[in-house]
Amino acid sequence: MSIIAQMAVSGALMGLVYALIAYGFQLTYATSKSINFGQGELVMVSAFFTLTLITLGLPYWLVVPGGLLFGAALGLFVERAGVRLALEQKSEGWILLTIILGLFLFSVAENVWGRDDRPFPTPISHEPIRVLGVDVTPVELSVAIGVFAIMGVIEVFKRQTLLGKAFEAVSADRDAGELMGISATHTVMLSYALSGVVAAVAGILVSPITTVGPTMASALVLKAFSVAVVAGLESGFGVVAVGMFLGALESIASYYLGSGWREVPGLLLLILALAVRPTGVFGKAIIRKV
Amino acid sequence: MIRLLASLSMFGLALPAFAADTVKLAITGPFTGGSAPMGASMRDGAKLAITEINAAGGIQVGSVKMKIDVIERDDEAKNERGALIAQELAAMPDLSGVIGSVNTGVVMAGDRHLQEKGITKIITPAAGSASMTQWVGKAQDLSIFRFAAHDGIQAAMVVEEGINRKFTKVAILHDATNYGVSGRDDLQREIKKQGDKLQVVATEKFNIGDKDMTAQLLRAKSGGAQAILIWAIGPELAAVANGIAKLGMTAPLIGGWTLSMSNFIDNAGKNGNGALMPQTFIEDPITPKVKAFIDAYHKTYNVKRIPSAVSAAQGYDAVYIFAAAVKQAGSPDTHKIKAALEDLKDPVPGVIAVWKQPYSKWDPKNVETHEAFRRENAVIGMVQDGKVVFAHEEDRKRLAALAKIP
Repeated sequence: MSIIAQMAVSGALMGLVYALIAYGFQLTYATSKSINFGQGELVMVSAFFTLTLITLGLPYWLVVPGGLLFGAALGLFVERAGVRLALEQKSEGWILLTIILGLFLFSVAENVWGRDDRPFPTPISHEPIRVLGVDVTPVELSVAIGVFAIMGVIEVFKRQTLLGKAFEAVSADRDAGELMGISATHTVMLSYALSGVVAAVAGILVSPITTVGPTMASALVLKAFSVAVVAGLESGFGVVAVGMFLGALESIASYYLGSGWREVPGLLLLILALAVRPTGVFGKAIIRKV
Repeated sequence: MIRLLASLSMFGLALPAFAADTVKLAITGPFTGGSAPMGASMRDGAKLAITEINAAGGIQVGSVKMKIDVIERDDEAKNERGALIAQELAAMPDLSGVIGSVNTGVVMAGDRHLQEKGITKIITPAAGSASMTQWVGKAQDLSIFRFAAHDGIQAAMVVEEGINRKFTKVAILHDATNYGVSGRDDLQREIKKQGDKLQVVATEKFNIGDKDMTAQLLRAKSGGAQAILIWAIGPELAAVANGIAKLGMTAPLIGGWTLSMSNFIDNAGKNGNGALMPQTFIEDPITPKVKAFIDAYHKTYNVKRIPSAVSAAQGYDAVYIFAAAVKQAGSPDTHKIKAALEDLKDPVPGVIAVWKQPYSKWDPKNVETHEAFRRENAVIGMVQDGKVVFAHEEDRKRLAALAKIP
């Protein structure tokens, strides 16, 4: 029993990182019906940038906001370079452009920071603590806290502030929003900046566990896609639930079926979800009037 | 365009004539990525030896002195890159030899191209058994030599260490590469050979890039493993060490020599302390020659610690053995060098040992004829506070005696 609990908890904590990256897809999809296929590279480059700030000797209370601002700037860069023109022309060009930007950032990272995996120092302890018979490290708990904190802040922002309401309005109906005097372009920019911040948070949270390297996010982002597809692209609660479930399922499978079978249940789940609920478990079926 | 082609072809024609007074030596290995500490240290150690030889005027070949001309190729630890590089090298008309390769998969993919042309290659530091055993019973004549303590030796030492420490239950963990899988087979064979004193309670694998080893370790833990025998490379080894600490396990890691890689030691931090592995060289100035080598490496490459000391020392000694063969052959011709390597007359003083007849004529039934290292050349090293030290103090004297210049 305690083994199942241990596997489920370790897996679910990693699953929260999938959820956070998937949440980044949701933010931009809501406002612009586009997603950044290079989101994993945003995670990775932000982590490298933050690591550079740490090695420069800056204190942590400066390093973390620095990393987040850098993430926001990267998000804006992706929006300007890869998404805006494609959206204006109502084309699907953003798919290819965001993939290309991701490859570009990957090459930049390889050339600037090298191809090696590096440890990411953190003030949070790696010493395991025992909670209800399960070993977890404070670093892993910090992932959970960080994920819930950033998602909570963004959800409150969307619901309680004027800017957030504009965000929701454009998400609901872009044309109607524009008629009410909301700049859709600015809202899309905002969503990409937020998505960049979310990517940076994911990078900073996961790096102490996974180390920092150019390929650090490639596996994570694939899982995040699965989570986004299974949960649907509308529900923030949905990605958290599905992310934790997928993470736990993976690690339980690798224990009981053997480590080679780790990915299989997750992929079956993905196929099942697409077959039964193509809009996602938590997605809403949209009725489009013509 | 035509002019460009013309100048290119002229350059091509001029090249062999230009190269005739140098010995062309290729150095290949992963200089980037997870295996880079081994590849880059091997390259840098080899280049240190080449710089020394060239500074002294070069190798005495017949009546002239010839300098060594280095060709570097990064195989990125990828099998397909390794095959391409081997094809390119095999097509060079005046190549004297190749030193390098870290990854068993790369060796398996590339070496047959060199063997077809009879190009002399010294494999170092790749240790996977399959690199050499693939030729047993197949090649009547072989131009591939190895300069590393192969996994057969290493697995025997690892199992022996486990038995000596009075363990009875162990788990085997390995990565899914050619290196990891052949390491697992070697370990299982050795456990049987040494009288089945260790009971294997779990055999688990993981992939390159995996960071979460909880499942594999829990299986080891629930089986009651007292030690983890492991075959993998730096980053994943570190993930395992960190997982062991997280689960509050006390089982030590005993495994292949890769547990001495800097990217294991750095990424595991204090969780890496106590890891045990076979080593052919330890960064400890046990003789004046070893001290000179370590100091020169630190100074030339501006580091405080050699990323993979074993690789650096093996690269260094391999170049000297190669140079001795060129001198004895009296020619930069790769076939003559191969013949000389199989029957080296003079002992070659290196930093690992004084090498007396490291190789003999290839016997298709006996792989040891092209293996330089014996059990006596290896010791058990241990990670301690970011460094690899001798695990058994008496080994220090033993290695120093081997490296003593008579």
